[in-house]
Amino acid sequence: MNRYDKFLIIFILISSVILYGTMEWFVRASTSDKVVAIVTYREKEILRIDMSVDNNYVVQGTLGDVFIEVKDRALRVEKETSPYHLCSIQGWVEFANVPIVCLPNHIVIMIQNSKSQPEGEDSVIQ
Amino acid sequence: MKKHNPTRRLTLITMLLAMSILMHMLEPSLPIPVPGVKLGLANILGLITLILFDVKSMILLNLMRVVIASLLRGIIFGTGFWLSMGGVFFSTIITLILYKTNKFTPIGLSVASSAFHGLGQIVVLILINQTAMMIYWLPLLWFSSVPTGWITGNISTQVLKRLKA
Repeated sequence: MNRYDKFLIIFILISSVILYGTMEWFVRASTSDKVVAIVTYREKEILRIDMSVDNNYVVQGTLGDVFIEVKDRALRVEKETSPYHLCSIQGWVEFANVPIVCLPNHIVIMIQNSKSQPEGEDSVIQ
Repeated sequence: MKKHNPTRRLTLITMLLAMSILMHMLEPSLPIPVPGVKLGLANILGLITLILFDVKSMILLNLMRVVIASLLRGIIFGTGFWLSMGGVFFSTIITLILYKTNKFTPIGLSVASSAFHGLGQIVVLILINQTAMMIYWLPLLWFSSVPTGWITGNISTQVLKRLKA
């Protein structure tokens, strides 16, 4: 290993730490009090979960059922049918914009801030 | 080894391709404690091909490895195929750029290849899911590329040492 290799390794380590810090700051800062989890199957929304209510949900993925658990404003994939169970290994997610990707099942879960519809949004101001 | 006759060259590249397909297919079953992280054993064969032969052989080997392994696993043109293709595309590009500078050892090339493989997969995930936040996983993949790239780079160095001896 020469000095160019070492420089490259240090660059990758530093950039990954900086990027991680930035992402963590962003997801924490962008999470509001009211959040919903959007579950998509093959890029189409199939379920919208209110994160303020503890509950269990089941959605149909490509390889079988995907069991989702919401508890204390955090969400996880409890179990699913897939070769390596990466989705359930990921564990609890509580911040907005952190994706849970169940690739073999084509299921993506993303927590988003709940947008309340302002009254009179459709009115036309003349 | 670059001056070997065409038959020997073709035979060696075919053997390297067969081994890389085998690695590609066996690797997901290796237990790695971090979800989504793989060692990248198939990249060893790509790097060996680049150093023993030439750029064209490496590109062909990497592309054929993804296509044939995806065909064998029945996931051709599925999400997994495009993820592999994205990873291989980015990792091959960066490996070739760094290799042309003549400043990096196989360890440096492996680490860069591993890091950009992760970047390529994230780009494909962003394109498929239309969600830029897939980049959330990039720091994990970049950080893990250092130990995984170091391991595969060392294996490549040892194999090349023995092949050239």
